Amino acid sequence: MNWKNMAAIMAAIYGIMAMLPFFLGKTNFVMHILIMCLIWAVVASCWDLIMGFAGIFSFGQVAFFVIGAYASAIVSNTYHVSPAGAILLAGGFTAAVGILVGLPCLRLKGAYVALVTFAVHMTLEPLLKGDFGRAIGTGGSRGIMAIAPLKLFGVTFSSADPVPFFYLTLIFFIICTLIILFVIKSYWGTAFVALKDSENLAASLGISAFKYKLTVFALTSFITGLAGGFYCHYVGMLSHRLLGVDLFVTLMVMLAIGGIGHYPGAIIGAFITVTLNELLAPLGTYRPLIIGILIILLVLLFPDGIIGLVQKVFTSKADKATKPVY
Amino acid sequence: MLKLKNVTKKFGELIAVNNLSFQVEKGRIFGIAGPNGAGKSTVYNLITGMYSCLGRIEFEGHDITGAPPHKIARLGISRTFQIPHIFPSMSVEQSIGVGNRFGAGGRYEPGYVNNIISILNLETVRHQGAGELNLLGKKKLMMGAALATRPKILLLDEPMAGSNTTEIMALMELIRKINKDMGISIIIIEHFMKVLTELTDTLLIIEAGTEICCGDPEKVTSNPIVIETYLGEAYAQSNQS
Repeated sequence: MNWKNMAAIMAAIYGIMAMLPFFLGKTNFVMHILIMCLIWAVVASCWDLIMGFAGIFSFGQVAFFVIGAYASAIVSNTYHVSPAGAILLAGGFTAAVGILVGLPCLRLKGAYVALVTFAVHMTLEPLLKGDFGRAIGTGGSRGIMAIAPLKLFGVTFSSADPVPFFYLTLIFFIICTLIILFVIKSYWGTAFVALKDSENLAASLGISAFKYKLTVFALTSFITGLAGGFYCHYVGMLSHRLLGVDLFVTLMVMLAIGGIGHYPGAIIGAFITVTLNELLAPLGTYRPLIIGILIILLVLLFPDGIIGLVQKVFTSKADKATKPVY
Repeated sequence: MLKLKNVTKKFGELIAVNNLSFQVEKGRIFGIAGPNGAGKSTVYNLITGMYSCLGRIEFEGHDITGAPPHKIARLGISRTFQIPHIFPSMSVEQSIGVGNRFGAGGRYEPGYVNNIISILNLETVRHQGAGELNLLGKKKLMMGAALATRPKILLLDEPMAGSNTTEIMALMELIRKINKDMGISIIIIEHFMKVLTELTDTLLIIEAGTEICCGDPEKVTSNPIVIETYLGEAYAQSNQS
């Protein structure tokens, strides 16, 4: 998709989201859903960048999110760093972890990268629950309760009054999604796609697989870590249950619905998935069944997701003549 | 310009390249031939840093042995592959642009990319997806992306394979143009001996990774050992007649 169409879709999303509190701001539950939509959209966008564009089958995105959340909560609760500072530190810490995970992955391809990154995900739960976790302040199986709310310029942003927190999250969402858009549409994005398509050809043309792959690991884990930090200071409590299969699958569904490698599909996918999850909540145990059927149908009928479908419908000669960005 | 000194590559017990030495002079076309599995493409993989090796590889006086492929590309060594490698997600113009942006020049120059597209006669398909091209188109695209890196030396791996006579003539003309007009030295791996004898200044024949003969193409192709191990009597007789 070209710059103009991407920017137009994203501007529409930003505009609609900014307007929603005027109509729905009185219902805390709805505002909560909207905040979660924004946070998950950031995480899903990061996953799309690393998997859809860079072609690295990283299954560590939920782990990075949880690492960011726990890091921010621990730094803020134990070391009394301001929540805003804690979120930034958490982002930096998660980026460092991302680089450490990325380094062995540079020697691997496809399913093996998925295995290594998912192993990180699997290892995290016992680490957080066990003695090591308790020693560093994760609260073990109990998790972390009473995480300080975010305070900026004398204003407290908490879940008790979701509208201010919503706008703060919206700003965070806009910054993160714009960074991802610029990366995708810059020569960095071109390098990611080239490495995904043919690593040997890309290397023979001067692209350093080491530099670009490690950068994408660092960038996506940094932003995901920030999102984790935002989440923990909003919700006010943390549990290792975030590492359960539910969230992992839900994020995958977001990508599948939006279209992997069809940015900003991941954002739309996140909005649809979070909303659908809540709307179908009254169905109880039938909810996952219905969502499962919908996903199967979607993947079979529209393998490139919603954005892929829209692109197919609206592909014009003008689109094909788009100038590349270097 | 490019020197290989006692280069050896082993894959376990298999010696793919055995103590091979040769040098390519600036502005020349150097040919490599040999039976299948002789180690021709491995030599390219060693020069371009895809594989590590024993021995020494020098480019313009610098030791490039063991350097990573992207650094070697930026020094001015570019290559094509025997089996076409393309970027299926990109258009022809974008693919060539990748070479221009990340290669030795290090920046995207639309004029240079247009020039490459024009030289390779790819204007009509410039906005077409790389994956939609036929075999010849893909080979030309690979060549275009390699040329866009502003190489000093271009390594072509069986560019004529799968082409008909007309296409072979056109490709030969193109290679001459790249060599003369753009001043790029060329190493070419090829099975068509006629192409090599007409195109190259020096010809190297290898078998089982070992040099059999190297020198003037006419002399090399009439060498009895080369005829016995690679070309065969039929070739020698047809050449005499």
